[in-house]
Amino acid sequence: MPQNPDNVLDHFNLFRQPEYKEMFENKKKNFENPVADEELERVREWTKTEEYREQNFAREALTVNPAKACQPLGAVFAAVGFQETIPFVHGSQGCVAYYRSHFSRHFKEPTSCVSSSMTEDAAVFGGLNNMIDGLANTYNMYKPKMISVSTTCMAEVIGDDLNAFIKTAKEKGSVPQEYDVPFAHTPAFVGSHITGYDNVMKGVVEHFWDGKAGTAPKLERVPNEKINFFGGFDGYTVGNLREIKRIFNSMNVEYTIMGDNSDVWDTPTDGEFRMYDGGTTLEDAADAVHAKATISMQEYCTEKTLKFIETKGHEVVAFNHPLGVKGTDEFLMAISRITGKPISAELTRERGRLVDAIADSSAHIHGKKFAIYGDPDLCIGLASFLLELGAEPTHVLSSNGGKAWEAKMQGILDASPFGKGCHAYGGRDLWHMRSLLFTEPVDFLIGNTYGKYLDRDTGTPLIRIGFPIFDRHHYHRYPVWGYQGAMNVLVWILDKIFDEIDRNTNVVAKSDYSFDIIR
Amino acid sequence: MTSLANKIQDVFNEPGCDKNQGKSDKERKKGCTKQLQPGAAAGGCAFDGAKIALQPITDVAHLVHGPIACEGNSWDNRGAKSSGSQLYRTGFTTDINETDVIFGGEKRLFKAIKEIIDKYDPPAVFVYQTCVPAMIGDDIGAVCKAAAAKFNKPVIPVISPGFVGPKNLGNKLAGEAILDHVIGTMEPEYTTPYDVNIIGEYNLSGELWQVKPLFDELGIRILSCISGDAKYKEVAWSHRAKASMMVCSKAMINVARKMEERYDIPFFEGSFYGIEDTSDSLREIARLLIEKGAPAELMERTEAVIAREEALAWKSIEPYRARLAGKRVLLITGGVKSWSVVAALQEAGCEIVGTSVKKSTKEDKEKIKELMGQDAHMIDDMTPREMYKMLKDARADIMLSGGRSQFISLKAKMPWLDINQERHHAYMGYVGMAELVKEIDKALYNPVWEQARRAAPWETKPSEMFSEPEPELAAPTALAAE
Repeated sequence: MPQNPDNVLDHFNLFRQPEYKEMFENKKKNFENPVADEELERVREWTKTEEYREQNFAREALTVNPAKACQPLGAVFAAVGFQETIPFVHGSQGCVAYYRSHFSRHFKEPTSCVSSSMTEDAAVFGGLNNMIDGLANTYNMYKPKMISVSTTCMAEVIGDDLNAFIKTAKEKGSVPQEYDVPFAHTPAFVGSHITGYDNVMKGVVEHFWDGKAGTAPKLERVPNEKINFFGGFDGYTVGNLREIKRIFNSMNVEYTIMGDNSDVWDTPTDGEFRMYDGGTTLEDAADAVHAKATISMQEYCTEKTLKFIETKGHEVVAFNHPLGVKGTDEFLMAISRITGKPISAELTRERGRLVDAIADSSAHIHGKKFAIYGDPDLCIGLASFLLELGAEPTHVLSSNGGKAWEAKMQGILDASPFGKGCHAYGGRDLWHMRSLLFTEPVDFLIGNTYGKYLDRDTGTPLIRIGFPIFDRHHYHRYPVWGYQGAMNVLVWILDKIFDEIDRNTNVVAKSDYSFDIIR
Repeated sequence: MTSLANKIQDVFNEPGCDKNQGKSDKERKKGCTKQLQPGAAAGGCAFDGAKIALQPITDVAHLVHGPIACEGNSWDNRGAKSSGSQLYRTGFTTDINETDVIFGGEKRLFKAIKEIIDKYDPPAVFVYQTCVPAMIGDDIGAVCKAAAAKFNKPVIPVISPGFVGPKNLGNKLAGEAILDHVIGTMEPEYTTPYDVNIIGEYNLSGELWQVKPLFDELGIRILSCISGDAKYKEVAWSHRAKASMMVCSKAMINVARKMEERYDIPFFEGSFYGIEDTSDSLREIARLLIEKGAPAELMERTEAVIAREEALAWKSIEPYRARLAGKRVLLITGGVKSWSVVAALQEAGCEIVGTSVKKSTKEDKEKIKELMGQDAHMIDDMTPREMYKMLKDARADIMLSGGRSQFISLKAKMPWLDINQERHHAYMGYVGMAELVKEIDKALYNPVWEQARRAAPWETKPSEMFSEPEPELAAPTALAAE
C-alpha cells in the first residue's frame, strides 16, 4: 500500500502512486468502455471549431455551466444585512444548506439562515404548519429582531401565500402580532439571485413603510437630508460598503445603507460567536422613507425596489456597478448634486492617484483583449473600466442579463473606439463562452471561480473578479468601488498580466532571457 | 590611484572625438562631461557606467567589490538579453562590512573570487571596484592578478569607482578594462572575410536579434558584439574582425578607436534605429568589409536586402502615418543617438519639437541640424522643471525618454514612451521601427491621457487645474543620464 501512517499522502499525491494509476487504468480498460483516444481527441478538437460554436449558440433548451444563481440566494444576501435579522426560507431545507455553504465558501464566515423544512406531506397539503412551527421555533431559538421570509421553488409551485400564512402564524402565536416579518416570493424559476435581492429589498421597505402588512399605519414621508443606499448583490460587499461609508463620511453625507451585510460577513475571531453583527437597524430601515433620494449601485439588482421607492417621492438614481475613474466620477457627482455636499479634497486626490496609476501602467493593458462574464451590472462596470484603460472587452457575457442589458452593454461598447468588434451576450452561459474563447481568442478572462475550467480548457488566464470566488481567499474584503476600489481592480488585472509574462518566460535556458525583474 | 588618474586622463584624450580634439589641453583634463554640480540631481556614477557596459557579457561572473549598496541596488536591472548563459544576471558581491573597511577587503575579495570559480567555473571573473574599497586602498588590480595566477583563469579588474565621475566615464573605463585585459587574449577557431564587431550595442530587449537575421542572410558574421549577448571568448578574440560598427558613440569610442590603432580594424559610427539609418549601416559594413578584401558582390546582395526590407518596413508603417502625422515629439535620449531616432520619427510623420543632445557629439549635432533644420531645438541639459514646463505648456504631444524621466511626463499629463534601457520592446532594425511606431501610436491614443488632462469634473473651473503650483521635481527626480 502506498499509504502508511508515518507519511499520510493527501489526495494531491496519493492517487499518483503506481498502485492507483494501475487501478484507474484497469478500471478504464475493463469497465468504462472508453472511446478510442483518437476519437476523443477528434471530438475535443471539434468543440473548438466555428462549426461547433454555431451549433452551441443554436442551443435552446439546455443550459451548460450557468453564470448565475437562484433568487433565494439573493434573498438571503439581502436579509442578513438588517440588524439581528434571520433569513427564513419557506420551502425545502436542502436549498437553504446550499445558500449557507455558498456564502460561507465565498466570505469564509458562517451564514445564519433557517428553513421551514417542508417535506412531502407539506407539498401535498400546503406548508402552513411548517410556517407556523418554523416561525415559532426560529423566534424562540435564535431571538432575532426580525425574521425575513422568502421562498424556494417548492413553496412557490404549490402556491403558498406568504402574507396569509404569516398572518395566520401570528394569530396562532408563533411570533408577537407587532413583530416584524417582512416577506418576498422568490421562486428560482424566475430571474436569478439579483431578482431575489430585489424582491427581498422591496419586501422589507414595503413592510416598514406601508404599514407592516396592515398591522400598523403607513408611514407619512417627511423629507429630510438623508440618502438611502443600495449596494445590490455584490461579492465585494464587505470591502465595498465600508469604502462607501468612508466616501460618504468624507463628504459629510447623511446616509442609510440599506442591507448592510459588511459586518455579519466579517466578524472578528475574539472568542465570541456572533450570529448577527452590524446591519441596518430596523429603525433606520423605517426612517429611510423620509430620505430625499435613494441610490442604487446596481440597476438590475433593484428594478422593483426603486420603482416602489419612487412612488414615495424619492429621487432615485441607479448606477451599473460604477467602476473606474469615469464611473466613480459620475457616482460622486450624483451624490454631491443630490446632497449639496462638495466632493472632498481627499477624494479628489484619490482620483488623481488613480489616474496616475493608470498612466503608469497603461502600456501593459492597452490593446489587450478581455472576455468578461458576471452579473449584468458588474459586466457593465468592468467593461467600462477596461475601455477606459484602452483594453478591449471582446466578449461580455451575462447569464442573467436580458435583452435590455444586452442593448445597453452593446451601446457602451459601440461608443468607444476600443469597443470595436466587441460583443455583449445576454442570457448565455459559460459553455457559450467556451466556444467564444476558442473561436475568437482573447488575452484574459475575467469572471468568478467557475472560470477556472475555461482557463484550463482554453488557456485563457482567469482574473478572478465576481461572485462566487471559492478558490481564492479574502478578495471580498477589498473594495472595487470608489477610486481606491478601481485601484484594486487595476492591480488584480496587472498582477495577472505580469504573472503571465513571467510564466511565458520562465523556462530555464529556453525563454528565460526575458525573465526580467523590471516590468 | 595614480594609474587610475592616468587612465582617466588617457580616456579624456580621445583623438577619435572631434569635440575632444577641439579643446585646449586644460579643458581636456577636465573631461568631456560637465562637472557634477553639488546639490543638483544627477545621473549614475562611473561604477554604474562600467557595470552596464560589461554586464551584457553573459557567461562571466560579474563580482562587485564593495558594500551592499552598489550591487544591491543594481543587480539584474538591465534588459540586456542572452541567448545562452544567464550567469551574468546573478548578483555577485563581496558585501563588505565594517571590519573589512577597517582592515581592508582584499582577502575577502580574493576568497570571493575563489568561491565563484569553485562553484560556477565561469570562463572569467570581472571584478568591479567601487568607492569604499577604492578609498581604503584595496588594490583590486593586484588581487585580480594573484587570483588569475592562482586559479589559472582570467580575472579582470574593472577600475571605475563611482566617485571618479559620471556614468559615461565609467563606460569608457570599462572599455579600457577589456582593451587591457580581454581583447586579443584568445584566437577564434577560424576567420572569414565577413567578420565584424559591433561595439556599444547591448542587446536590450533582444534588439540585436532583430538585426542579426539580416547579417546572417548576407553571410556577415558578428564575430563579437561588445557587449550585448556576448560570450567571454568572443570579446577575447574580437581583434580578428575585419571591421567594426560603433553603435553608442560616446560610450565605447575608445574601444573602437584603439582597436583600429592596435589591430587595424576600421570602424564607422552607425545606428540601427530608423529605416534609413539601418540601411546606411548595412551599406557601410559592406563597404568596409569589401575594403578589407571581401568580394565586391557583397554590396549588391546588401542593396537587394535593403531594398526588400525598406519596402516591407514602409508598408508596415504606412497605416500609422495618418494617425501620427503632425504629432509633436519631445525626445530626451541618453545613450541612443538622438539623430537616428529623429530620423526614425520623421519617417513616421512626427514633428520633433526638441531633442536632447546632452551626450551627442558635434557630429551628432550637425546631423540633427541636417534633419531638423538649422533652428533645430537642441536641448543640452534640460532640468526636470524645464522639461515639465515644456510638456505642460503642451508644446509636445508625447515625450520619448529613459525610464527615470517618465514621471515628469506623466505628472504633466503627457504620454510617454520608454526608449532607453528599461523598455520592453525592441526598436532596432526595420522591424523595430514598425514596433516603435506602433508603441507611439498606442501611447498617444491611450484613453488615460484624455482622462488625465481633464480636471475632475466637479472642479468648476478647469483652468485652475493647470495653474496649481508645480510639483517639486528638481530634487528627487533625477534627469536621466543614461
